[in-house]
Amino acid sequence: MSDKVNVYINSKRYQAIKGEPLLNVARRNRVDIPALCYEESLKPYGACRLCLVDVKEGAKKGLTTSCTLACSEGLSVVTDTDEIKKHRKVLFELYLSQAPSSEKIKDMAARYGVFATRFELKHQENDKLNSKCVLCGLCVRTCNEIMAAGVINFIGRGHNTKINTPYFESSDVCLGCRACLEVCPTKAITIEDRSNIRIMASWSNTEVELKKCAVCGKYYAPERLDEKVDSLFYYKDKDEKLKDMCPECRKKYAAKKHTLIVKGEAEKYAK
Amino acid sequence: MDKRYIDKILSKYNEPSGKLLGILEDIQEKEKYLSKEALKYVSEKIGVSFSQIYSIATFYSFFNLQPVGEHIISVCMGTACHVRGAVEILNNIQYLLGVGVDESTEDGKFFLTTEDKHFSVNTARCFGCCSMAPVVRIDDKIYGYVKIKDLPKILKEYGWGKK
Ligand code: SF4
Ligand code: FES
Ligand code: FES
Repeated sequence: MSDKVNVYINSKRYQAIKGEPLLNVARRNRVDIPALCYEESLKPYGACRLCLVDVKEGAKKGLTTSCTLACSEGLSVVTDTDEIKKHRKVLFELYLSQAPSSEKIKDMAARYGVFATRFELKHQENDKLNSKCVLCGLCVRTCNEIMAAGVINFIGRGHNTKINTPYFESSDVCLGCRACLEVCPTKAITIEDRSNIRIMASWSNTEVELKKCAVCGKYYAPERLDEKVDSLFYYKDKDEKLKDMCPECRKKYAAKKHTLIVKGEAEKYAK
Repeated sequence: MDKRYIDKILSKYNEPSGKLLGILEDIQEKEKYLSKEALKYVSEKIGVSFSQIYSIATFYSFFNLQPVGEHIISVCMGTACHVRGAVEILNNIQYLLGVGVDESTEDGKFFLTTEDKHFSVNTARCFGCCSMAPVVRIDDKIYGYVKIKDLPKILKEYGWGKK
């Protein structure tokens, strides 16, 4: 039994892996479906509602979010009905009001023909996320599910929902990995490096110490992250020398070592 | 915070991580509110991150995160109560108790306590008895069809205006 199935998007046939989210297939084949809260390495969440499609052939017909729609043989959807456009317009208007300072949201909305919102703009004073957060939850899920750090989470509910550290206090478990910033679709998060300290400005100014490269002296990664990574995969040949180097120096030294070994002059490496 | 008591609560739940709400409820019943220390302690004990526990505690208006007064007044702000004048009821209660108007906390929870710690006021979302709107709950008692002019009488039942 093969786990490949045929699915149809706007009547065109595509191959898919049985059970994978339809949004994946669309992205792989450059079929345009807007989405804010989907990330392949995380479980589908279905929060932003932007990825709506209309199921014509499948277990459940009608409008549904394509990030939570599992592919099965013969599944057929369309992405651009008038009904979908209508819903999308409202959603974009809501996002424009929720994240009034986000250029990303403005651009995205404009691509789908939405240029203004009828809702009140939610400009918040002293917002740690610069009035750009759409509460998609990607940062929270990455921090919890991928990094297993559990630094940030949703706080409160409804209109007042925020994302931050508990009690809005600086965190002592933050690794300083910046994964939250990488994954944020609206670039809402602020993180600054000041010589040996990384300041997670959005997360209650949590400070994380950075590690210095033993060779070039550059601060290259948070101490705590480095420890965690080291404990997970120590270098294959347990070469202590490589341990405290930044990635660039490590690359250089590893290459040098390799050439010397090939040339049969391994003893020179120590210098 | 009484660690021994929390341990006792935790031991009641054989798989504590899935019973978080029950645990928090039990702690609140004993201590009347959830202190930072209690949340931290539970987090360490059951291996659920502190941020996750705080998230849940702030999600439910049922949980108090600040020390509370002797009597807790919850004014329903659900849809039915809202259209039947809940905002005025709340304003008047605040006026009668002399507690500030715009003092909600950073976590977005609305929670006010009188200086003598006799009353705390918060808001809630629908007690499920909308036909009696507007509804106010004091401790475990529900008051329906509340009118502004009844408020002093109701509050007096709980020792308001004695001094
Ligand atoms: S900060 Fe960014 S990633 Fe986190 S919820 Fe807001 S928009 Fe999503
Ligand atoms: S990507 Fe599907 S709901 Fe957000
Ligand atoms: S809205 Fe107040 S009890 Fe339902």
